[in-house]
Amino acid sequence: MVLAKLAPHLLSWAGIVLAMGRGFSGRRSVVAAGAIVGFPLGVAGACLLSRAYPGDFSFAIIRDIVGGSFLLLWGGAVAAIYSSTVREFPRSWGERLANSPFCAGAVALSSGMIAGAISACRLVGTYNTLPPFLLLALAASILALAALAVERALAASFPVSHSGLMASVVALLLFSASSIIRLDLFSPLTMKLMKFSHDFVHQFFESMLIPDHLFIRTYLWGYIGLLFGNGVGFWGALILWFTPAVLVALAIQWERLPSVAHIRQGAQRRRLLATGIRARRFRLVIPVLAMVVLAAAVYRSRFPSVEYWDPKPLPISASPSGDIFIPKKGDVDLEDGKLHKYLFKQGGREARFFVLMTPAGKLTVDLDACAICKPDGYGQAEGTVICYYCKTLIPLETVGQPGGCNPIPLPFTEKEDGVHIDGLTLLNMWGTNAQSTARVKGGGK
Amino acid sequence: MSRPLRAIWAVISSRATSPLVIGVFLLIYIVLAFITDDTLIALMEYTRTNVLLVVLLALVPLNSGCRIVKETDRHLKLRRALAGKSANDPSGLFDESVALPVPSSFDGLSGRLAATGYRVRCTGGTLAAWRGVSIYPVRVLFLAGMFCLFAGILVSLTTRTTHRMSVIEGEPLPTATGGGGLVERITLKTGAGPILAKILTMDVAPSDSGDGRKVFGLYPPSLYRGYFVYPRYIAIASIIRFSAPGGQTAYEKQAVMNIYPAGKEDRVEIPGSPYRILFSMIQPEDGSDPYVTGRITYLFKLMNGKEVIFAGSLPVGGEFVRDGYRLAIPEGKRMVITDFIQDYGVLLVWGAAIFFLAAGCIWLPVTIFLPRREMLFVSAPDNIHACSRSEGGGRKHGGVFHEALDFLEAGMADRQPFDGGSAEK
Repeated sequence: MVLAKLAPHLLSWAGIVLAMGRGFSGRRSVVAAGAIVGFPLGVAGACLLSRAYPGDFSFAIIRDIVGGSFLLLWGGAVAAIYSSTVREFPRSWGERLANSPFCAGAVALSSGMIAGAISACRLVGTYNTLPPFLLLALAASILALAALAVERALAASFPVSHSGLMASVVALLLFSASSIIRLDLFSPLTMKLMKFSHDFVHQFFESMLIPDHLFIRTYLWGYIGLLFGNGVGFWGALILWFTPAVLVALAIQWERLPSVAHIRQGAQRRRLLATGIRARRFRLVIPVLAMVVLAAAVYRSRFPSVEYWDPKPLPISASPSGDIFIPKKGDVDLEDGKLHKYLFKQGGREARFFVLMTPAGKLTVDLDACAICKPDGYGQAEGTVICYYCKTLIPLETVGQPGGCNPIPLPFTEKEDGVHIDGLTLLNMWGTNAQSTARVKGGGK
Repeated sequence: MSRPLRAIWAVISSRATSPLVIGVFLLIYIVLAFITDDTLIALMEYTRTNVLLVVLLALVPLNSGCRIVKETDRHLKLRRALAGKSANDPSGLFDESVALPVPSSFDGLSGRLAATGYRVRCTGGTLAAWRGVSIYPVRVLFLAGMFCLFAGILVSLTTRTTHRMSVIEGEPLPTATGGGGLVERITLKTGAGPILAKILTMDVAPSDSGDGRKVFGLYPPSLYRGYFVYPRYIAIASIIRFSAPGGQTAYEKQAVMNIYPAGKEDRVEIPGSPYRILFSMIQPEDGSDPYVTGRITYLFKLMNGKEVIFAGSLPVGGEFVRDGYRLAIPEGKRMVITDFIQDYGVLLVWGAAIFFLAAGCIWLPVTIFLPRREMLFVSAPDNIHACSRSEGGGRKHGGVFHEALDFLEAGMADRQPFDGGSAEK
C-alpha cells in the first residue's frame, strides 16, 4: 500500500539515477554514493521539517526548493543555447566544473535529497511511525542501484549532455512534486503569471498613457480582457514550463558540427558529418523525454486525484434594514470546520459568500471570489481551499486574510447566536471586486 | 587599450550581459512574489529607490549601445575582408577557415561559384563570393530597439512625476505651477474609429502665462508645459446644497461625483452630521449619454446612518424638499480627472516599438528567403587561406565551400565537373 502510493516518486527517482549515471558516465561510483546518501537524508529532512513546522510551511519550503531547481534549469538552458550559438561564449571553466567528480557528487546528493524530501511528503501526515519512511529509503536505495545497473547495460552510443541531464533530472523532480497537491508548482505558476499579466497590462497602459477601458471599444476591451483570464496564466505557464527543455533541445540541435574543411575526400567528410549529426540526434532523446515528463506533470497538476467539498450555495435574504443573519447552529453548523456557501439576491443584484471556521477556531466570512480571478468560487480539501479558477491552494489558516488569490474577507459581526453581515456592503463588495474580475465572462458560475 | 579597460569593454559589450541583467531582475521579481502580491509595482518601486539596481538596469542600454559598436566594427571588418582591403587575418570573422597548401590560383573558381548563384569579386590575391542579405541592419535595429526600450524604462522609473488634477469645464486648467488657461469646453463624442468608443476633447483658452490655445485629446497624449495630459476618468463636479430640519445642518460645497457612466453610485458625506447622500445619474430613455448631452438628472438616496430617509431624482438646477429636508443642485459641470505626467521615457519606448517592428518585418523574410552566405579565398605565396560563414542555409553553403576547396586542391578546373549545389549531410 505504502509502495503503491510512492510509485510515481520511486519511478521518478529511478529515472533520475539512470540519467545521472549516463550523464556522469565516468563517475558512476560517485553518483551511486551521492544518490544513496542523498535520498535518505532528504526523507529525514522532510520528516524533521514537518515535525518542527506542522502545516503548510514545511511543504512550502520543499516546494520552493523544487522551484529553485526549476530556476537553475532555466539558467542552464539559457547558458546552453548561448554556448551553442555564440562564438565567444566562455565554455572551458563550465565544462571543467561539469566534468569534475565534485559536480557529479553534488548533483547526485542534492537530487537525492530533493527527491527524498518530495517522496517523504507523500507519507507525512498519513504515517506517524518510522517503518514506512525506512521502507521508502530502502526501496529508493535498491532502485538507485538497479537503475545504475540498467544504465551500464545501455548502448555507449546513447550519450546524455550536461544540459540534457539537467533537464531530465528537474523534469522528473517536477513530475514527482506534481503528485502531491501542496508541492505542485504548475498551478501556483499559472496564478502568478495571471497576476503578472494583469499587472503588466495595467502598468503598460499607465506607462504608455493609453486611455482606460472607459474610452476603448467594448470588443477591443474584450480582447484585452483575455490577458486577464486564466487562459493567459495557463498558456504562459506552459511556455515557461517547457521552454527550458526546448532550449536545451535547440542548443543540442544547433551545436556546431565538427569542421571538415581540412578533409579533401568528400566521402570522409560526409561520414564525419553524418556521425556528428547522428550523435546530436541521440543527445536530443533525453530533452525530448524530459518534455514528455513535464507534460505528465502538467496533466497531474491540472487533474489532481483529490475530491473537493463544494456545497451548493444556500439562498439567504436580509432583514428590511439590510442585515443578513446566519445562526451558528441551524440547518447547518457553522462551527464544523466546513465551508458553507450562501447566495444573497436583492434588487437584481446577487453575491455569493461563504462562512468557515478556521483551524484557529475563528469564524471567517468571505466572498466566494478573490480579487484576481474570475469568481468561479472555492472548494475545500484537506487543510486548504482551492480557487477553482486558477487552481491555487489557500491554506485554511490564511482564509480570512486579504491578498492574492485568498477569498476576499467580508466585514461581519459575530454574536453568541450567529453572524451578522450588512447586505449592501456584501453586494457592493461583490460588485467592486468580484465582478471587475469577471469582465469577459460576466457573473461567475 | 589597457587591460582593465579591455576587461570592462568585454563585459559591457558581451552578448551575455543583457540576458544576465534581465535574469537578475527576474530573480528579484520571483523573490518579491513570495513577499507581496503587487510584485510588479513593488519591483518598480524597489528599482526606483535602489541606486545599485538603477545602475544594473542602465547596463542593458549601455550593453545594447556597445553591441551596436562592436557588431558594426565586425561588419565593417568583414566587408573590408570581402573587398580584399583587409591586411589582417580574417579567420576570426568566419565560422570555418582552412589553409590549403596549393599554388595561389583561383582559375575557374569564380565562374563556377557564380554558376551556383554566388556573386563573386576577385581583387588581387583574394576571391570573395557571397549571396543573400546580411542580417546586420536587423541586428542594429533590434539593438537600437533594446537601447530605447530599456533607456525608456530607466528614464521613466527614475524621473516620472505625476500630478492628478480635476479639469473642470469653465474653470482654469489646474497645473503644478498654476496659471493654466480657462477650460472652455469639455466634449465627449461617440468615436467612429475601430479603437476608441468615445472621443474626449478639452479646449483650453490661452493663458496669461503665455500658453497658446490648446485642444487636448485622448491619444496620442498632448503636451502642456512639458507634461503629458492623460485623461483618466470622467466625473461631474456639482454644487450640493443640503439642509436638514431644524436648520442645524446646512451644507453647500462643490463635490466631485464619480458617477459616470449612468447607474454608477457615489456618495457625498455631510460633514459633522450623520447624513450622507448616494448619487447616481439616470440613464435617459432615449439611450443618450447625459454627459454628452449635458442633460443630467441625478438619482439620490438620503441616508441617516444605515437608514434611508427618502430617495428621489433631481435635475441640474433643481431642488427637492420633503419633511423639512432641502436638497438642491444648482450647478453640475463636466469634469475630467486628469493626470499631468512628466515622463520622457515614454517617447523612447514608442521609439523602441518602431525599431522592433521594423526589425521583425525585415528579419523574417531575410532569414527565410535570403540568408547571407559568404566565402573568402586569400592567396599567400605558398597556400590559399579559405574562410566561410553563413547566417542560414549552412549545410548547403558548407557543401559549396568544401567542393570549392576540393576544386582548388585538385587544380583541375577545366576537367572536373563542379557539383557546387549539392549539400553535404
